[in-house]
Amino acid sequence: MKPIKLFGRKRKVVYFLVILCLIITFFLAEGWGGGTYSFAHSLALFSSTPLSEVEETILFRVRLPRIVLSWLVGSGLSLAGAVLQGLFRNPLVDPYVLGISSGAAFGAVVAIYSGIYWGLFTIPLFAFGFALFTAFLVFYLGRIGQKMPLEVLLLSGVAVGFFFSSLISLGMYLAGENLHQMVFWMMGGFYSASWEEVKMVLPFFLVSLPLLLPFNRELNAFLLGEKVAESMGVEVERVKKLLLFISSVLVASCVAVSGVIGFVGLIVPHLVRLLVGPDHRHLLPLSFLLGGVVLIWADTLARTVIHPIELPVGIVTNLLGVPFFIFLLRRRKSN
Amino acid sequence: MSEYLTVESLEFSYGLRKIIHNFNFQVQKGELVGVIGPNGAGKSTLLHLLAGLLFPDKGKIYLGGRETTFLSRRKWAQKAALVFQDVPSELDMDCLEVVMMGRFPYITRWKGEDELDYQVVQKVMKATSVQNFIGRSFQELSGGEKQRVMVARALAQEPELLLLDEPTSHLDVRHQLEIMDILLELKKEGIAILGVFHDLNLVSQFCDKVLLLREGCLLNCGKTTEVMKTPQIEELFQVEFLEALHPFTFRPFFMPLGKRKSESNNIRLHLICGGGSGRLAMQELLSAGFSLSVGVVNQLDSDQELAEKLGLKLVTEKPFTHYSSDSLQRAQTLAEQADFVIVVPTYWGEGNLGNLRLAQQLLARGKRVILFRDCLGEQWDYTNGRALKILHELVEAGALVFDSWPAAIRAIGDKPPITPEKQRQKELKTTGGKNRQPMA
Repeated sequence: MKPIKLFGRKRKVVYFLVILCLIITFFLAEGWGGGTYSFAHSLALFSSTPLSEVEETILFRVRLPRIVLSWLVGSGLSLAGAVLQGLFRNPLVDPYVLGISSGAAFGAVVAIYSGIYWGLFTIPLFAFGFALFTAFLVFYLGRIGQKMPLEVLLLSGVAVGFFFSSLISLGMYLAGENLHQMVFWMMGGFYSASWEEVKMVLPFFLVSLPLLLPFNRELNAFLLGEKVAESMGVEVERVKKLLLFISSVLVASCVAVSGVIGFVGLIVPHLVRLLVGPDHRHLLPLSFLLGGVVLIWADTLARTVIHPIELPVGIVTNLLGVPFFIFLLRRRKSN
Repeated sequence: MSEYLTVESLEFSYGLRKIIHNFNFQVQKGELVGVIGPNGAGKSTLLHLLAGLLFPDKGKIYLGGRETTFLSRRKWAQKAALVFQDVPSELDMDCLEVVMMGRFPYITRWKGEDELDYQVVQKVMKATSVQNFIGRSFQELSGGEKQRVMVARALAQEPELLLLDEPTSHLDVRHQLEIMDILLELKKEGIAILGVFHDLNLVSQFCDKVLLLREGCLLNCGKTTEVMKTPQIEELFQVEFLEALHPFTFRPFFMPLGKRKSESNNIRLHLICGGGSGRLAMQELLSAGFSLSVGVVNQLDSDQELAEKLGLKLVTEKPFTHYSSDSLQRAQTLAEQADFVIVVPTYWGEGNLGNLRLAQQLLARGKRVILFRDCLGEQWDYTNGRALKILHELVEAGALVFDSWPAAIRAIGDKPPITPEKQRQKELKTTGGKNRQPMA
């Protein structure tokens, strides 16, 4: 018997293409846009001719942090989406399934409405805090004895999400002149992206990535069903709690710096499954790599399509995500 | 042989509902044990406890002599593997990788699969004849093939105890037998196997030992040939069964008679028949819910064979011989316990004339005897009128005569069993009437 290698030929090609895609995307997005620094300068990073001061500012202070941040957020959301879809064995699960998005948005609304100002990161801090609070509330409500039955958790997430959504509506109703800021935050975007934000989320990625990626075998075992996984030696409840906790923290950190960006975390894992199948040993790293690519493109579109007006990137991901999702759905049905 | 699994006073309950009451049993290495019982008996719960998916309230489980209370999940999975009834319908993964998942308890996070893991997977895929599925997606396989892959996956855990939760329920006959054949092979390697099966005959044909479960109690536990008997099985499921012998394994084969046991009434009938005449009688009377005894009949008589298969009480005589006084005496003892004696229309010869005299004696002793008008026809008599004469005497002596089975069954069902008081009155009436001496 010839052992099937972890990196078969087809998979090697997929990895190669995704990484190539990431590199190309990086350079294209870097050059794309209005302003002085433009498409032709894409490779300026490597050219010996020095850039002008304006160009340097645009490249290093505006575009690069924005690209890096959108890559991180897209990657984080996609990875969390892949993990949670595997955990719940439900294709409709997205990273916000535990009510994290509503919680974060509510936190932002509270910060904006109350006018509290603790420095530049007041809103992200509130968003992050409330997102985690929501996740823990859902864990608490979804727990029965020592166990967390997934369907109870899912329904608790939906219920808590609705609860915070109505509080958000209330906040918006009472917001007055702050309404614009709230709506903008909730649509999600990277208008104000800087290295500061990158620095803020990076530690979460550095911690959660090495914790999430090695759980690929456990998630594979989950494909056969929770009970089967347990009979094969997976400590189901412990793995469940750990993965839910880590992915919640990761998603909360993403939402805190970017607002609510939908569909990336739902679509990208499905896309990767089409490419390499449901094996989490490939699904997780490829979702991580590809999620960033998709969000960089969405953000590049958002800031260039009707330049100089910038669209919230959440609108772009939703607009592109829905048709693709319907395509996936129909494809699945025809199989 | 040595025991691998030992269960000691095991108890388990879901909340207040007790599912497992004080279980004690052992499973030896290389032994195939079947678990049977009606729904809700606690069969699946038992398997889940043995696989370590549930924790007992009380009692102990020993695997290979080791107590399991503090056994880690991973170590438990190295000792016991569980095959479930359901297989995933959609799983777009290579069958090899599905089987390789079974190596989970041996693979450490940073090491990955090594040569040994591939060797084990190769071995178990060969044992379950799924090596041809390598390179094929799991979801393309048929139900039976998928279940074989799942058995391979469980075996990849290199368990010493293989647990199966109704693994064959969704499979057709051929695939069921394939799974059982695999289990027989595994037995030879010394694996202890414990499986819940819905099909009694799979258990009867293949298992060495059987556990009978009902409502959370372990009713019986022992060798298949000793435990799998019609009365026990009928008691377990509250359904009547017909038992036959399997022509190859010589093990009993059970056929449900499609009737709930609790429906039977308490009226007992003794049947005098022979030469195939009893077939209709047995069918009519059993389906009406009466319990039957039969006799005397000769061995190899078709009525004798049928009564034997139906598990009826009967008195037999050697083939083609006159009834001995001994067998007639036994038949009389049996018939004394019945509420009615029924004489079925049949041919009478020198050989079976004893049965008619028996009826006459019983009638004289107050037993109620039932005849059919058809019995009195001359075509039945091959004894130059002697049988016919006795039949007429029976009628005169007060035997009940009916035209059809439904009429007779209705009359029997309506009549309450005779009280001793009534019986004595009747005795006085019959003996006082004509004072006929019964012919012996």
